[in-house]
Amino acid sequence: MAASSASKLFRAGRSLLGGLKDPNGSIGLSKDLPRSYLFSQQQRTFIQMRTNLKVVDNSGAKRVMCIQALKGKRGARLGDTIVASVKEAQPGGKVKKGQVVYGVVVRAAMQRGRSDGSEIKFDDNAVVLVNKQGEPIGTRVFGPVPHELRKKKHVKILSLAQHIA
Amino acid sequence: MRLEKCWFCSSTIYPGHGIQFVRNDAKIFRFCRSKCHKNFKMKRNPRKVKWTKAYRRLHGKDMTQDSTFEFERKRNKPERYDRNLAENTLKAIKKIDKVRVDREARHHAMRMKGKKAMERKEAAKELEQSIHMVKAPAALQQEASLTLPKIKVKVSQEQSQENRMEE
Repeated sequence: MAASSASKLFRAGRSLLGGLKDPNGSIGLSKDLPRSYLFSQQQRTFIQMRTNLKVVDNSGAKRVMCIQALKGKRGARLGDTIVASVKEAQPGGKVKKGQVVYGVVVRAAMQRGRSDGSEIKFDDNAVVLVNKQGEPIGTRVFGPVPHELRKKKHVKILSLAQHIA
Repeated sequence: MRLEKCWFCSSTIYPGHGIQFVRNDAKIFRFCRSKCHKNFKMKRNPRKVKWTKAYRRLHGKDMTQDSTFEFERKRNKPERYDRNLAENTLKAIKKIDKVRVDREARHHAMRMKGKKAMERKEAAKELEQSIHMVKAPAALQQEASLTLPKIKVKVSQEQSQENRMEE
């Protein structure tokens, strides 16, 4: 939602500029770029309030909506903890729908820089539910996890993971 | 430190460059620059994109099998540091690179062999067929340099005889 509004603002801004400076030049430019170009330039952003995340452990929850990012003014990134509300849960699980839980972001679509200068990004936004102390509620973790978690002291999640990116 | 290969263009990715994309099936795609990354996002097949190594190897533009490629295997066992080994490896890398470049140049030369002869044949054919675009056919008949040499007929003696008769 934020991404599409950002792109709309961008387009509006360009046409405004076009009116001020050179009507033929910039409007011609915006027509040159095909529709698909603007769509593929999706800006991946932080995990903030109202962000839906996938739950990748067997704690019982399926989807979770972020209420608060515990660290960071703009939102949570890969490896950060969030407070979330369970939106969708499996019938016989440890968590119920509507429950407020803590979670650790294990996959984020926004790229995160590594200490060697490269960047890593994943396909979706995924979270592992934890308790207040940072220990995972579930007993299994699905999919790849980054080794940024080691620095954040989420060693238990790393040990449960199938694949460390 | 490890030098990786770009998934799209097969060039080496040095430390500090590029983006790694991890798909949910845990397959890691590494890209050397945003050009390759954007092409990947557009779902382009590198085997069909002309400037990639995958295309060039597939279409026989570059060498595919060579013994110099065997040296660049991926080794997962870390070696204990040995100064002599490191020194020899560095020397070997230089030599292997030189050999590989020479072989690639030879492959390219073999590929381009016969190009000159073909070009000359094509030029001769074009000259024969399309000379009317450069010079008008009427002009060709008058200018001796552009046409085949003609057989000379001796007319001079008869003319002098006619002159004498007129006078």
